[in-house]
Parts: sequence; structure tokens; C-alpha cells
Amino acid sequence: MDYSNLRRQITSMKKSLFDQGYLDEQFNQLEELQDDSSPNFVEEVVALFFKDSSRLLTNIEQALEKYPQDFYRLDSLVHQFKGSGSSIGAVRMKNECSMFKAHCNNRNLEGCRRSLQKMKREHATLKQKLETYFQLLRQVGPRERAVNSWK
Amino acid sequence: MAAVAEARGADFPVGMKVLVVDDDPTCLLVLKRMLLDCRYDVTTCPQATRALTMLRENRRGFDVIISDVHMPDMDGFRLLELVGLEMDLPVIMMSADSRTDIVMKGIKHGACDYLIKPVRMEELKNIWQHVVRKKFNENKDHEHSGSLDDTDRNRATNNDNEYASSSVDGGEGSWKSQKKKREKEEDEADMENGDPSSTSKKPRVVWSVELHQQFVNAVNHLGIDKAVPKKILELMNVPGLTRENVASHLQKFRLYLKRIAQHHAGIPHPFVAPASNAKVAPLGGLEFQALAASGQIPPQALAALQDELLGRPTSSLALPGRDPSSLRLAAMKGSKPHGEREIAFGQPIYKSQSNMYGAFPQSSPAVGGLPSFGAWPNNKLGMTDSPSGLGNVSNSQNSNLLLHELQQQPDTLLSGTLHNIDVKPSGIVMPSQSLNTFPASEGIPLNQNPLVIPSQSPSFLASIPPSMKHEPLLASSSPSNSLLGGIDMVNQASTSQPLISTHGGNLPGLMSRSSNAMPSPGISNFQSGNNPYVVNQNAMGASSRPPGVLKTESTDSLSRSYGYIGGGTSVDSGLLSSQTKNPQYGLLQSPNDVTGSWSPSQDIDSYGNTLGQGHPGSTSSNFHSSSVALGKLPDQGRGRNHGFVGKGTCIPSRFAVDEVESPTNNLSHSIGSSGDIGNPDIFGFSGQM
Repeated sequence: MDYSNLRRQITSMKKSLFDQGYLDEQFNQLEELQDDSSPNFVEEVVALFFKDSSRLLTNIEQALEKYPQDFYRLDSLVHQFKGSGSSIGAVRMKNECSMFKAHCNNRNLEGCRRSLQKMKREHATLKQKLETYFQLLRQVGPRERAVNSWK
Repeated sequence: MAAVAEARGADFPVGMKVLVVDDDPTCLLVLKRMLLDCRYDVTTCPQATRALTMLRENRRGFDVIISDVHMPDMDGFRLLELVGLEMDLPVIMMSADSRTDIVMKGIKHGACDYLIKPVRMEELKNIWQHVVRKKFNENKDHEHSGSLDDTDRNRATNNDNEYASSSVDGGEGSWKSQKKKREKEEDEADMENGDPSSTSKKPRVVWSVELHQQFVNAVNHLGIDKAVPKKILELMNVPGLTRENVASHLQKFRLYLKRIAQHHAGIPHPFVAPASNAKVAPLGGLEFQALAASGQIPPQALAALQDELLGRPTSSLALPGRDPSSLRLAAMKGSKPHGEREIAFGQPIYKSQSNMYGAFPQSSPAVGGLPSFGAWPNNKLGMTDSPSGLGNVSNSQNSNLLLHELQQQPDTLLSGTLHNIDVKPSGIVMPSQSLNTFPASEGIPLNQNPLVIPSQSPSFLASIPPSMKHEPLLASSSPSNSLLGGIDMVNQASTSQPLISTHGGNLPGLMSRSSNAMPSPGISNFQSGNNPYVVNQNAMGASSRPPGVLKTESTDSLSRSYGYIGGGTSVDSGLLSSQTKNPQYGLLQSPNDVTGSWSPSQDIDSYGNTLGQGHPGSTSSNFHSSSVALGKLPDQGRGRNHGFVGKGTCIPSRFAVDEVESPTNNLSHSIGSSGDIGNPDIFGFSGQM
């Protein structure tokens, strides 16, 4: 029940996520949207994102392995992924998506494959970090969380 | 928000009804939350087609729409256009794509604003301005133009500056200036027409399908160049309608046509590719009609389109949307021989017939959404500007031609189209109602098939060569013809018998519309059917279709093509019936078929794209390619409703890409069986054209 400690942890974790470029301002916007009427809003959105994006990643992977490659479709899928990611502030993933799209434009299959691997890694890392983050938040409770997200 | 509310008094913009359309659930959730925090009334919808249906059912139900650009079932720009034309509501586009050219495209399609994802709260707070601005501008249109314009513009400008809706830095400035420019152009154009505008505020005119049809007919009659609001108004002879109403509608219409032309001109869309299906799909009533209007679409195609629009599953309308190249081919083919052939649909429009093939004179490229059609090469089809009566007929014909044309020669089409497009949209373009009804499939009787089904339908295909005397349409040369052939032949026969009989199946599109004969009926059909396709009905009647096109040169080819077409198997009522049905009429066949067959070499990555490919102008070459395609049906085309048909189209019946999928294969098989695609015989390529 040492909220102050927990809060410190949460704050520092969040800061590191921002500093390391995993998240950006958009994430703050999401937290601002959270209030009493929707106390778990951010977590909900993030959960929805990861569920949807996992599906997208699978589709991208499949599309990459299909022959002949349909770069248009790939571009479209990654574009979706990028839009989604940017909605929660996942900036690293967003950047990797841009790289992927560039490879698509050049019809660079190998480049796409590499990019996809990176995207998957970023995806997994962010997911894990945010899970930890939300776990901490849950421990402090809604009120504390509200205070926290106020930053 | 409080400040905003105060500024407006009462609670505006609290409770403003916003509809958000985006296939991304995460984004949808975030936006919803943000909009709720702005105290707007929010409705979310992950599917564009569903959103369109909702809007059509309840026009006044929403104040503003926010839509994503990339969506699987329908291109956001298409939705934008449709909403603008049908409901005239402000639409805000959004995307993660911030490229200036895309933003520009959004503006050109009429977007009130373009937001870059991730969308921020501040941006959403200001969207109420678009609602107000639009209403204000509309009122202004009816009022005495002049000083108000400046005031309004300045206001808009100021607002833009303050609120910086556009998040693209580079694009922002240009966006704003574009927007200002557009407003200015609109104002100026409105003033151009000379007549003193009435000073009193007029109630908004609802451009119903019927009204629009009348409008299109009038425009067609006058010729797009000579179509001035005053004359149009006189021709329309609608009590209570003012010159201003007509002027502003004309303006929109022109823009629409221009856009279609650009689409046809093969302007490559980056989006098109991915959303190929989506893009084309929206062809819904609007496009269909426009196509019909332009008379470029062969009647059959129209019929097919109609069917599709109507939601007839079988109709293979998809054709129009599917493969512009193929369409073109079809058109091309048809046109050739047709010149003389006047499709005896009993409609006065026949005149255009000969031209039809030459060029789609009217290519009223329907709704911009038809990228696949590519430019309706007016020249190609030679669609003569048909007399007003033509409107109906030509429409169908045009559309058919267009379809054909599109398929065949994107290039030629393009050039021609632009002109044609302007011309006669034969009202199909936008029957506001009809569009709506589209899905509802008002039930346009299949028999409306203006295509004029030759009486000999049953043996139609088989006997085409011999019986088709007057139909040279069956131009063997064009593979597409063969596809269309069935359809064309029908037209050629100028019998109003439904095509369906021809192949034994029902060509819903073709057959039904008995309206062939009448141009005006078209309108009436239009109305009753609410089908956007209605237009086609009439149009189809008009001989438009390129008799030549369809005509397969030799009986053999006929049979072959017949086979190709799907061998008479009962074609689903829809002409176009999605691939499942025998391709029968090239056009009619499910979009996939069409696409496949039509777009031979072009990349059909997306409906629209295909067009862009610019098939070599030569018809023959097109044919070949198309013929080739027939057999092969490029993957792209196949199985996928490229645009027009497939998913996302509002047409309920949608060819349903899914359904089509299998047929396509069949089609391809049939195509193959009928003879190698490359085989000139089948397509009558041997110069029958």
C-alpha cells in the first residue's frame, strides 16, 4: 500500500517509455480522455490495439510470403497498422511502418521482411512494457491512477 | 468547448451529430471518446458501405461525417463524393497519410477538412465550423451573391487560421488556399451566369433522382458546353426551381464529372491499389447512372449495373466497375461496327450509338468513384450527343460504351472522356434517391433492361451471328465484345427482349429494363426503381451499345464467346452476375469476370488503376489484351470485385466478390475453353470490328 512508491515507479516507467521513444504525446492525450466515466479507457484502447494489430501482423506476414507479392496490399495493410499505432502513440512502431512502406514502394522484398521482423519486435516489446505499466496502475487504484494520468 | 458554446449561443455545438467511419477499431474508439468529450453526438461505423446506407436512410440524422481515407470496402474519397452529392453534408477526411498530393485529392473531392492521424482533441473541437460554414455558404448561394461572399470567405479564412484544422504543415497552407480558392471559384461561377440571383433565401432544393434525371437530360440535350443554368432550367421546366439551384447543382456536377474524368485519365492513386476493390465498388447508383448518362456504357453493362445497384445478386453489373479496360474494349468493340448500327432500342438516342463506340461522348463518368472506367473516352465511343431523349438511352449506352471503352482503351478514353463526361450525365449520375434505393433494389424490374434484348434471346448467343443481322455489335474482334456481345447483341437486336433470354439465363440487367424505348421512361424508371440504374434502363434501350462490340465476328466466335460468356447457363439474373454466373456477357458477368477479361495486361491492381494504365489506344490491341485477359483473367481482376462490384459497394446485391470468386474461376475456365483468349476468333478479333 505504499502508493507513493508505486506512483514513483509508474512515473518513472512512463517517463522511460517516452524517453526511449516508445510512446509519444498521443498517449498523453489518451490518458487525458480517461476520467470517471471511463476509468479504464487507456487500457481498453491499448488492449484493443494489440488485439487488432496482432491480426494485422499475421496478415502482413502471410501477404509477404505469398507469391507473387502484392505490394499494394502490403502497403495497405501496413498503412492500417501505422494508423492504429499512431492512435495510441506507439511512435517506434509507427516509424518502422514507414520504413516498411518505403520498402514496399521499392518492391524490396527483403527490406520488407526485415522491417516486418522489427515491427514484430517493437510490437512485442511495447506490449510487454505497457502490460507492466497497467499492472502498476491497477495496483494504485483508480483514484491514484487518475492522479497519475493527470500529468 | 465552453467558449465555443457561448460564441454560438444556445448549446451549439453541443449535441452536433457526428458520424465517424473508419475500419480501424482502435482509432474509432479513440475518436469516439474524443468527440464525446467535445459533447458531440457520436455514431461510429467501421464500414463505409454501412455508413452510406445509414446516411441514405436518414439524411438529416447527421451534421458532419469524419471518414478515413483507406478503407477496405470503399475508398474514402468515394464515400466523400457520394455523401457530398447525395446528402450534401460536410465530410472531413482523415488518414495517417500526410502526403500533400493525397490531401489535395481530398480537397478536390470536396472534403471540408483533412486531418492527419493521430487526430488531436483540439482539431476535433473545431469541426463544428465546417457544419456552420457549409450551411452559411449554401444560404449564400441562394441569396444575393456579392459582399456576402467576401465576408464569408474571410470568415472562413480566419477560422482556418485560428484553428488550423489541417495538421499537415506543408499541406495546411496549401489546403487552406485551395479551399479558399474553391470557395471563390464557386462563388464566381455562380455569379457568372448572369441572372440576378434572388435575394431571398431559398429553401434547399433536394435533388431527387427524378429531378436529377431531368437535369441530366437537359444537360445532355443542350450539350455540356452549352448547358447554362438558364437553359437547363427552362428545359427542366420544374416549377419552383430557380436558376441558382440549377447553377449550383451544375457546378457540382461538373466537378464530379471532372473528377471522374481524371480518374479515367488514369491518374494513379496510391490508394487505389490497395483498396482496389473498395475503390471501384462504390460505383453504385451514381456511377452507374453517370455512366449510363454518358451513354457510354453499353446497355448491357448498364443493365448489369442496374442490377447490381439494385442489389441484384445476379446482376453482374460489376462490369462497370470492374475493369475499365475491359469495358473499354467492350465499348470499343461495340462502337466500331455500330456506327451504323443504331441500336434500335426505340430510343431516340440511337444517334449516339454510332458514336458510342467511337467515344463516349457523354461519358459522364459517373461518379468519380469509377476510377476503373477510366476516362470515358469520348472520342472513342463517339457517343454522339444524343438528343435529350437520348439521355436515357444514351446513358445506358454510354455507360455500356464507357464500360467497354474503359476497358479497351484507357488512353483514348481518357482524352475523350473528359469532354464527354461533361456531357451528358444523363441524370444517372446522381439521383439522390435512386442511389439510396440502390441497395434496396427497388426492384427495378429486371426487364428494364434497356439493352434491348434481342428477341431471339434464347438462341441469342448461338444465333447471334446470323440473327444479329443488325447487330454488328457482336464484333468479334473484341473479346470484350464477346463478353458484351451477349449484351450487345441484345441491344443490337434492338428488341426489347430481355437479354436474359439470350443466354438462357437472365440477364437481369439486360432484360429487364424494358424501358429501352423510352428515354423519358428512363426517368420514370428511375424514379420508380429508385435504382440509380434506372437510368440505365432507358439508356440501355438506346441502342447505345456498341453493337459492334458485342458482335463476334463469326458464329464460331459467338459460340465461343458464348461459351465464354458463360455459356448460357442460367446466368444469374444479374447480367453481371458475379462471376458465379457464366460470364455470359462480358460486362455483365460478375465483376471479376469482367475485370479479368477486360484487363488483360494492365495492372489491374485496382479498378481504378487499371484505367490508368492506358491501354494502347488501338482498339485492336485492346481487344487482344482483353481477350487475353478473358482467358486469363488476371488475378487481380478475378475474384475480386474491383471496385465496382464487390464489397463495399453500396449495392446490396453486390456481386459479392466472394461469390464471384468461384465464378471467376469458372469464367476463366470458360474463357479458356472457348478458345484461347488470344484466339482472335473468340473475340472476333479478327477484324470484325
